[in-house]
Amino acid sequence: MSKYVMVIDQRRCIGCMACIVACKAENDVPEEHFRTRVIQEVEGQFPKLRMELRSELCNHCDNPPCVYNCPTGASYKDKETGMVLLKKNRCVGCKACIASCPYDARYIDPRHGYADKCTFCSHRVAKGKEPACVQTCIGRSRIFGDIEDPESEVSVLLREHHFEVLKPAAGTEPKVYYINRILKG
Amino acid sequence: MTEVTITGINSITYPHLDVWNWLVAIYLFLGGLSAGILIMSAIANLRKWPGSASGPHCEKGVMFAPFILAFGMLFIFLDLERKANMFWFYLTLQPTSPMSWGAWGIMIIIPVSFLYALSTAPPESRHNLRYEALIKLSEMLRPYMRRLAMISFGLGIFLGIYTGVLLSNMLARPLWNSPILPVLFLTSAASTGAAFLIIVARRAAVKLFYTKLDIWLIFAEIVIIVLFFYGQYNSSASSKASIMPFFALTHEFFLYFLAVFLMAVLLPLALVMKLIEMREEHADVLSEATIFKMNLSAVMVLTGGLIIRLALIYAGQLVKFM
Ligand code: SF4
Ligand code: SF4
Repeated sequence: MSKYVMVIDQRRCIGCMACIVACKAENDVPEEHFRTRVIQEVEGQFPKLRMELRSELCNHCDNPPCVYNCPTGASYKDKETGMVLLKKNRCVGCKACIASCPYDARYIDPRHGYADKCTFCSHRVAKGKEPACVQTCIGRSRIFGDIEDPESEVSVLLREHHFEVLKPAAGTEPKVYYINRILKG
Repeated sequence: MTEVTITGINSITYPHLDVWNWLVAIYLFLGGLSAGILIMSAIANLRKWPGSASGPHCEKGVMFAPFILAFGMLFIFLDLERKANMFWFYLTLQPTSPMSWGAWGIMIIIPVSFLYALSTAPPESRHNLRYEALIKLSEMLRPYMRRLAMISFGLGIFLGIYTGVLLSNMLARPLWNSPILPVLFLTSAASTGAAFLIIVARRAAVKLFYTKLDIWLIFAEIVIIVLFFYGQYNSSASSKASIMPFFALTHEFFLYFLAVFLMAVLLPLALVMKLIEMREEHADVLSEATIFKMNLSAVMVLTGGLIIRLALIYAGQLVKFM
């Protein structure tokens, strides 16, 4: 059994947004919706400014409120890969998952009505490839792999660095880890 | 100073994008109303009435419960983005999902409350049921009226609480994520149920009985609303921020302020009107003026119940867990 996670090395992100474009193209994400975004947050008083570039996507939480709130079992945590995925044919579009996700990672696909989100490109991973955003990342800021394998790049990085997750107090146990995130009070 | 630039239109730029709207608020209101009718009519039918044989006392009102609930379901159905998949609700039971419990619960409550309503039809007005089969069924169920009333009471409590739990279990939306919310919704459900029965009941004794009950319920509701805001204010930063729209007093959040203002006027006013009604001497047949006043205060309670739900549904999506 594997558990796939993503490490985002914020020191290496240049804000080129290639990941967003790659994701949209790979997953046929509808107009005006995004499965991943890069937040640019500028802080400080001019001219002493500091910018954080923060990629955000579904955290494939280990304790996923979207799955707990889904009334039909359409949203589920895949036991083999640890990914949080969607059985589209079961989704009724009730939006309970959208309301319960603390990370605003989901959206309703206006063409079909289901509550879609990042899948860690499970269709590519199944073929041994990396997610599209990871493959396209010029700075190698996004790194993907199996945290159950102690020799994988993500395991090594997380062993050697201090890392953070978004909104840890939500108790969702996110599986997207940030290295060198600008610490805020 | 913080400046945020975000690539893409998403729920982060439009926090309430694609989540719930007034359809859900109406569903919660009508669900609560039918829960309240069941609870209140069960109380009236189970109690001993001084000077009269105990028995059904508000038969017409109960009949509304299953239909109001079914009508409420129509709104949640309209809110579903993939309506044709609705059958999936009933091919699974997801123990951690309140919505799943609700979907199954409603499927049980509608028929049971219908049977309960039939059992309360008194012999002299059974012919109003029109269909022979219904009249027969009503006759058959009559001996089980008390038992059905007890079950309906329990189901009403379940339904009233459920409408609150649906929102309160969402940590992502701090305004909803309060254990007081289900209690508030249950109290408000019972109060709107009593108000509705005051309007439809014919007998003076029944109207006055519900008026008396509603006084306590409105009083409890006001206390719970105050405690709700107080609890949010004293809780985490997210919870504190979540009540901001109600007290911001800005153009942008005016409607939320208006909601609080209306609650602060309507509920106490209805309470006072009911207190005055109880103090007055009433004959067996109520005067038109009295009935008008009773109905007016009942409409105020119903309006208040609707406003609470609308305000909470929309405001709950403005502030996220931080
Ligand atoms: S980030 Fe949101 S959508 Fe993704 S698994 Fe966690 S709760 Fe679910
Ligand atoms: S919108 Fe679909 S995936 Fe989300 S909770 Fe409802 S049924 Fe489940």
